[in-house]
Amino acid sequence: MYVGSEVLRAEPVGPDVVRYVLKLERRLGSSPGQFVMVWVPRVGEVALSVAREEGREIHLLVARKGRVTGFMHDNVREGWRLYVRGPLGRGFAVAKGTALLVGGGVGVAPLIHLCAALKGAGARVVAAIGLRSADYRALAEDLASCADEAHVATEDGSLGIRGTAVDVAEALLSERHFDFVYVCGKEAMMRQVIELAMARGVRVEASLERLVKCGIGVCGACVLEPLGLRVCADGPAFDGDTLTRAGDFGRWWHDAAGRRVPLQP
Amino acid sequence: MVRLVDLRVELAGLELRNPVVVASGPLGVSLGLMKRAEEAGAAAITLKTATLRPREGHPNPVVYELPYGLLNSMGLPNPGAEEMGRLISEAKAVMRVPLIASVAAQSPREAEEVAERLRGADALELNASCPHVRGLGAELMDDPQLVADIVSALRSFGRPVFVKLSAHGDWIGVASRALGAGASGLVAINTLKAMAIDVRAKCPVLGGVYGGLSGPAIHPVAVRVVYELHREFPDVPIIGVGGVETWVEAAELILAGATAVGVATALRRGFHVIGEIVEGLRAYVAGEGLASIRELVGAAHR
Ligand SMILES: Cc1cc2nc3c(=O)[nH]c(=O)nc-3n(C[C@H](O)[C@H](O)[C@H](O)COP(=O)(O)OP(=O)(O)OC[C@H]3O[C@@H](n4cnc5c(N)ncnc54)[C@H](O)[C@@H]3O)c2cc1C
Ligand SMILES: Cc1cc2nc3c(=O)[nH]c(=O)nc-3n(C[C@H](O)[C@H](O)[C@H](O)COP(=O)(O)O)c2cc1C
Ligand code: FES
Repeated sequence: MYVGSEVLRAEPVGPDVVRYVLKLERRLGSSPGQFVMVWVPRVGEVALSVAREEGREIHLLVARKGRVTGFMHDNVREGWRLYVRGPLGRGFAVAKGTALLVGGGVGVAPLIHLCAALKGAGARVVAAIGLRSADYRALAEDLASCADEAHVATEDGSLGIRGTAVDVAEALLSERHFDFVYVCGKEAMMRQVIELAMARGVRVEASLERLVKCGIGVCGACVLEPLGLRVCADGPAFDGDTLTRAGDFGRWWHDAAGRRVPLQP
Repeated sequence: MVRLVDLRVELAGLELRNPVVVASGPLGVSLGLMKRAEEAGAAAITLKTATLRPREGHPNPVVYELPYGLLNSMGLPNPGAEEMGRLISEAKAVMRVPLIASVAAQSPREAEEVAERLRGADALELNASCPHVRGLGAELMDDPQLVADIVSALRSFGRPVFVKLSAHGDWIGVASRALGAGASGLVAINTLKAMAIDVRAKCPVLGGVYGGLSGPAIHPVAVRVVYELHREFPDVPIIGVGGVETWVEAAELILAGATAVGVATALRRGFHVIGEIVEGLRAYVAGEGLASIRELVGAAHR
């Protein structure tokens, strides 16, 4: 059963990313790292991280990918009705101490929600954000303003340092002590950040994406082999230890028919 | 103290360590998930239904959760028989519990081609009952002769053949023809034809429009179908499926005449439900002062 919602705002935060602010009929009650399935009637349904939840309002950051996200970008404006089911999946463990949040592009979405929860729990938060260019400045804003300290890197050097979120994370992890690292972005990037953290004995969690169909763990579409981890139900947040044993991580994806195909870079 | 009880059952030649098997569907096409189900206590695993060619299934939304059950319209997504066969070979190397491969086909020839590729499995199940894919599945319920012909074709692989029935149509008639053609057992039931419309969006919810209802809502229907099948065919092993969430529903299907029970929707709560159902049955059998669960099969008829 869906919770109905009205789109309060649909604002571009980069060339192909839109922030949707939805007002739900009732409170969602998500924890950071959980996601929702968003149904656009007559079009389709996609998995999206809850980027922020305040009262009955939630934020979603949506990158244009294919059919449904493309339709949303082209058509879904203020006043539209969207239908939401969730919260789904298992989110991040909210730890105390000092946390490093590493986000690449739209991967900042679950980290914004996490940042608010960490701050609420009394943690100190440092953010390392990687963007393609300064055109995505607005995408980084919410995480940057929530964190105690934020560092931005862009591929072309048009904002912050020239480089990637991994470069920033590596520098920070070499300089100081962190109690926890959280990462969300491309899997190649997450893999590197996990290695950096684990090499220093720092606990790390990453949030993954796979093709999600049911979203409730009953169809197997989103599985990570060889451990049989369902991204929608056992994740999407997993700890670094688990992911180093999940061979598919960073390598394989299952398509709609369940065939193993290489992960898109 | 719980008395030692024997939960083992025999199902058309398959030796099961207990009566709880995973029904076709929830584990998708994943060896990792099959292993998790085995570790959780499952006595056999039914694979996702395979078709000759790969199928992507229906577009999202593919499920709709209700307070009393689940609607799904997966549309039989699967990588095709060839790939499923590879998964079975891999699985046979590392798993100890029997594997039941599920086949969907429109003709005996096609069924043979699918089964040929799945012959590593310990048994075959003909899916004659998927309610949301046109031409594959439930339509077979209207054509008992075709079911019989497909069963004969599947028999040539020397494995037990089960026929998975729908609660729609003349399931007694279909079962009778299938058994006449050499089927070794029956599986009942698949999901019930259903659909949902969102009252505010004013359109069907499921991407495939039609779906199948599973979970607690269909349990009494499953009990009735299993009860009548057992009355009609008392010597035929039945896997009772439909709304098994705890040992109570499992026991009910066994009393109605099922030798084993299948679980699908209950797995949304986690794999631990398998172990809970097994342990619940163990305590039930002990509490009834019986030595073996086999004494309960069909006991409601006596
Ligand atoms: C838990 C979770 C949270 C998510 N959170 C967000 C979020 O906050 N913001 C956001 O923008 N997106 C998020 N996504 C991703 C989002 O769900 C997809 O981008 C979306 O479903 C695409 O739908 P579409 O109809 O637009 O694209 P489609 O028309 O479905 O096209 C996408 C195609 O690309 C394939 N594909 C996609 N990625 C890969 C890959 N890495 N390797 C191989 N094939 C691939 C798909 O299988 C599909 O065929 C999340 C996904 C998950 C699982
Ligand atoms: C998500 C999902 C996928 C399913 N896929 C199949 C399938 O591929 N083949 C099949 O014969 N039955 C399939 N089924 C039906 C189940 O095997 C089972 O018969 C039905 O769900 C009733 O049992 P339950 O109430 O325990 O779920 C599926 C059910 C669900 C919920
Ligand atoms: S999408 Fe169905 S199990 Fe995860």
